[in-house]
Amino acid sequence: MDPFAASLWLLRFLFLAALYLFLFAVVRVLVRDLRAAAREPGTEAGRLHVLASPGGEPPAGAVFVLDAVTSLGRDVNNTVVVEDPFASAEHAVLTFRGRAWYLEDRGSTNGTYVNASRIEGLAPIGFGDEIQIGQVRMRLERPRG
Amino acid sequence: MTAASGTSRGAELPSIFGGLRPHARWRELGFLAIVATALTIGSISLGATLRARDPERGAGIPEGAFAPYGATLLAIYLGALLVAHFVQVLAGRRSDQVLLPAVGLLGGISLLLMERLPQNLGGQFGGLAQTQLVWLLIAIAIVAVTAVAVRSDAWLRLYKYTWAAAGIALLLLTFVFGRDVGGARLTLDLGPLSGQPSELLKVILVVFLAGYLSENRALLVEQSTSIGPLRLPPLPYLAPMGAMWAIALGIVVVQRDLGAALLFFAVFLLLLYITTARASYVAIGVVVFLLGSALMYKLFAHVQQRVDIWLNPFADPSGSGYQVVQALYAFGRGGILGTGLGNGLPTVGGRLPIPEIHTDFPFAALGEELGLIGLLAILGVYLVVIVRGLRIAASAADDFRALLAAGLSLVVGVQAFIIAAGNLKLIPLTGITLPFISYGGSSLLANAVVIGLLLALSDRGVEPPPVPRRGRIARLLDRGAP
Amino acid sequence: MTADTYGESSNGSVRRPLGPNIVRVGLALAIAFAALAAGAGYWQVARSAPLSVAPDNPAVVAAARKALRGRILDRSGTILADNRKDDNGEPYRVYRDSAMSPIVGYASRQFGTAGLERAYDAELLGSVRPDPVADLLKKFEPDPLDPQQLKLSISLPLQRAAVRALGNDRGAVVILDPKTGEVLVLASTPIYDASAIANPDTGEAAFAKLRDDKRLPFLPRATQGQYVPGSVFKIVTALAGLGSGSINPDTTFAQQPRAEQDGLVVSGFRVRDGHHLVTGSKALDFYEATEVSCNIWYALTGLKTGGDNLAATAKNLGFGDNPPFDLPLGRSQVTNGGGNFGGGFKDSVELANASYGQAETVVTPFQMALVAATVANDGVLMQPHVVTSLSGKKSGTRTIDPSVWRRIVSAGVARDVQQAMQRAVEGPLGRQFTSGAKVPGVSTAGKSGTAQLGGTGEPNSWFIGFAPVEDPQVAIAVIVEHGGRGGERAAPLAGNLMTLALKSLAGG
Repeated sequence: MDPFAASLWLLRFLFLAALYLFLFAVVRVLVRDLRAAAREPGTEAGRLHVLASPGGEPPAGAVFVLDAVTSLGRDVNNTVVVEDPFASAEHAVLTFRGRAWYLEDRGSTNGTYVNASRIEGLAPIGFGDEIQIGQVRMRLERPRG
Repeated sequence: MTAASGTSRGAELPSIFGGLRPHARWRELGFLAIVATALTIGSISLGATLRARDPERGAGIPEGAFAPYGATLLAIYLGALLVAHFVQVLAGRRSDQVLLPAVGLLGGISLLLMERLPQNLGGQFGGLAQTQLVWLLIAIAIVAVTAVAVRSDAWLRLYKYTWAAAGIALLLLTFVFGRDVGGARLTLDLGPLSGQPSELLKVILVVFLAGYLSENRALLVEQSTSIGPLRLPPLPYLAPMGAMWAIALGIVVVQRDLGAALLFFAVFLLLLYITTARASYVAIGVVVFLLGSALMYKLFAHVQQRVDIWLNPFADPSGSGYQVVQALYAFGRGGILGTGLGNGLPTVGGRLPIPEIHTDFPFAALGEELGLIGLLAILGVYLVVIVRGLRIAASAADDFRALLAAGLSLVVGVQAFIIAAGNLKLIPLTGITLPFISYGGSSLLANAVVIGLLLALSDRGVEPPPVPRRGRIARLLDRGAP
Repeated sequence: MTADTYGESSNGSVRRPLGPNIVRVGLALAIAFAALAAGAGYWQVARSAPLSVAPDNPAVVAAARKALRGRILDRSGTILADNRKDDNGEPYRVYRDSAMSPIVGYASRQFGTAGLERAYDAELLGSVRPDPVADLLKKFEPDPLDPQQLKLSISLPLQRAAVRALGNDRGAVVILDPKTGEVLVLASTPIYDASAIANPDTGEAAFAKLRDDKRLPFLPRATQGQYVPGSVFKIVTALAGLGSGSINPDTTFAQQPRAEQDGLVVSGFRVRDGHHLVTGSKALDFYEATEVSCNIWYALTGLKTGGDNLAATAKNLGFGDNPPFDLPLGRSQVTNGGGNFGGGFKDSVELANASYGQAETVVTPFQMALVAATVANDGVLMQPHVVTSLSGKKSGTRTIDPSVWRRIVSAGVARDVQQAMQRAVEGPLGRQFTSGAKVPGVSTAGKSGTAQLGGTGEPNSWFIGFAPVEDPQVAIAVIVEHGGRGGERAAPLAGNLMTLALKSLAGG
């Protein structure tokens, strides 16, 4: 085969090789990413463990798997309905933003407490912290899985 | 990051243009470098091959044989990809870094293919390749702008019924005013521009479905209507689903666009499964689909013809089965290594062997020129896009975003599957396009919107979704629950 | 996970995450794409070979279309058929001279092939079936085909002269070399422009016009035209009679001079003749009868020879049993057959009339040229051929050598006939019947014929002959349709052409 034909073969081969180089590079990243995601507990970002609930709603001892946004309050539309005379209709909202949890008081009458301190507006909250709304106490816990 | 860093008071209002905070995206740059290398080698290979085929060339290596073919177009294209990269860097987006290079590779292959085909096959902007480049540039711009500018999904999430209505209106417009092209009424002319609304329709459909299914997820999952041993979705929800099916049928009957109907229905079923995890719903959907297909086969000649030439194209190899037969010949000629970019597609009397090769059969053309090895690589890239999109869906902040991301990935992936399978005679041939590779502005732009939205959804710094509100019906049902 | 989660609270269902569902859908799609890969593998590997050689595979079609056909040359190397490329780079045929159209034919993409282009199609293309198409596509090799170039024995200048001499008349000229069997001229008129047919732009129109032309330009009259021979057939009768020993050169028939006046009655049928004024009451012998072309003498000879012998000699010469030849040949016959008078003749009347070339005798000009060549070559009929060599770039050159086909009569008999034919051209009486047939300065032999066609219209004008007699270089047969008596058109035409032929063969 003359050198020109040989070089054409080489180019064709190189092109295919380049396509596969891209694929391998990308798949490496994909696999690593998926493994890391698998180590994470899926979409579970955290859990809310109800420690004490004199009103019975939410039931004491219940554990809620949390999505990124969880609203708490007396109104039935909330994610976690808190039946407590000291809870406002729309009391607080618990959000997971990117990497961390935040608790936000929505202008409740009696305030929202994290580890017994009252929070104003938006406050960061970590795993193990205790939340109090009215007389209901809950704890933010790590996701299982 | 427009999301609060933890110290500000009150919820932040969503803003479109937040403060600039550049964030490096080295991985994306690295991938783009590989893409650029691959495309450059490809264009050099194409150029050299075309020179080799020139009957007037002398012996030995002709001068300038190794210059990249269509270097200007390629340079502009790569430049655009780079600009899109930097736009995201400057905007500080922490979005996915694989999607843009993957799609860039597919677009680049499309550009090479369009350069290789005869230029008179199309092009409002001067030749096939140039027109495709223009559309690619617009598509990249859309990807970049959508990825950067979309900061909140409220406009998608809250107005789903508006979107649905808009989609149906678009569909009806095409039914009534559409132009018949090649037996299918797909094209809508708006003054000097013409496009295929069904491409945009699939995005609108996904937006609607994501909103609808995520909002009613609880009910869909927990309640079901039982008809004997069958479990169907709850009755109030059967109606919209029935409407879906009817729309798909309508598309087939009026527009004769079997591919779009199949795509819509498949994406719908898959999203339904993701929402409810009920395999039975999917099974029922498949059965209903098959029944509908059988009915249409009996009733409509054009459906019959499609199925017949799928089953045995060699019965009429120069008539109705011509396209399918020629595509299979192309695959056969390719073999494992292919004939080389620019070296396949033997012309007879100056005509290409496969008609509509730039829109319906780029997969076959690539199969011939890049061989099985090349085809597997391209299928791999599509799979990468799908997997990435599904990954974005899996780690999305709430159901709506998850379903939206999943739906968008599926729309690209299932479409690629349908047309590739049609080319390979695994399913009947349909007229839908191969995303990012087929020639055509409508397809490129719609898919660009998809990728842009996926990038926006994947941004880890994006603001969290709004507080969920449960629907009125759900509340009513709840009150009655034990 | 599910065990811990709060599933059915009335204040909000805790939804199972979407993650696993999404993963399952992803897996399903991956499987679907794997199916695509398998499908691609099926067509590109498993079925690759059979697909690649399907005859309507464009690669196969394109290879055949792009193939350059071999050239066709005349005896001096002039290119008669060549290739030219059109705008798509695909070759089409061009032909140098319309005079060659009955021989060379045409090769057109739309209308197929004719003539030598058809007879030697496979050789001109240089392949049996392009199966190494797969290789063609994968390597940048030049043509794996080996198109052959044909060299013909035809002389283009002579062919042109023959066509020009025939002019507006319909007719044919065949010139052979009796010693080798090579064909120098195989002319038919009217001719047609083969280039117009092969040209993809003009082909359709040209073909339609020619197909509808009432003068039948596509009929190669020299090889396939079928005509009543008239007196030129007498040579066959002579060969049959002398060869079988039924007659000898001195044979005379007593009743012949008388019959000249009234006509010979054969089974109630009167055979007439026209030269009794010239020969008076002399009973003619073979030479004299041939010189004046005496129908009655030949009718009696035919009856004496018998149908079997006549038919047998004719068959030997190729009547109804054509020699193998490069082009298709029409069928010549002495009788329609089916009779039991011997040789297939119905009765004596038919035999008598056939003996001087009427009744149901039908010949092709080519056949009559073979008759002349046999006589010229001392009774040995050489294998006629037009193609003298095939050469390809890869396969080299293959020459077709002269070979004997059949011995028809002994050399002695042949010489007797030669003598008679010479008298027919050069003898005092013969000259008048065949004026113009003699080649100046060269001993020429021949026989003219006037074939009555019945009905109105001029008879066909025939001539067969050869020259020089002692060492024949050329044998010729000429027919001019409706040309009148043999001596009017065919004989002078033959004489001119033989003159030209001898000059060109001598190198002049």
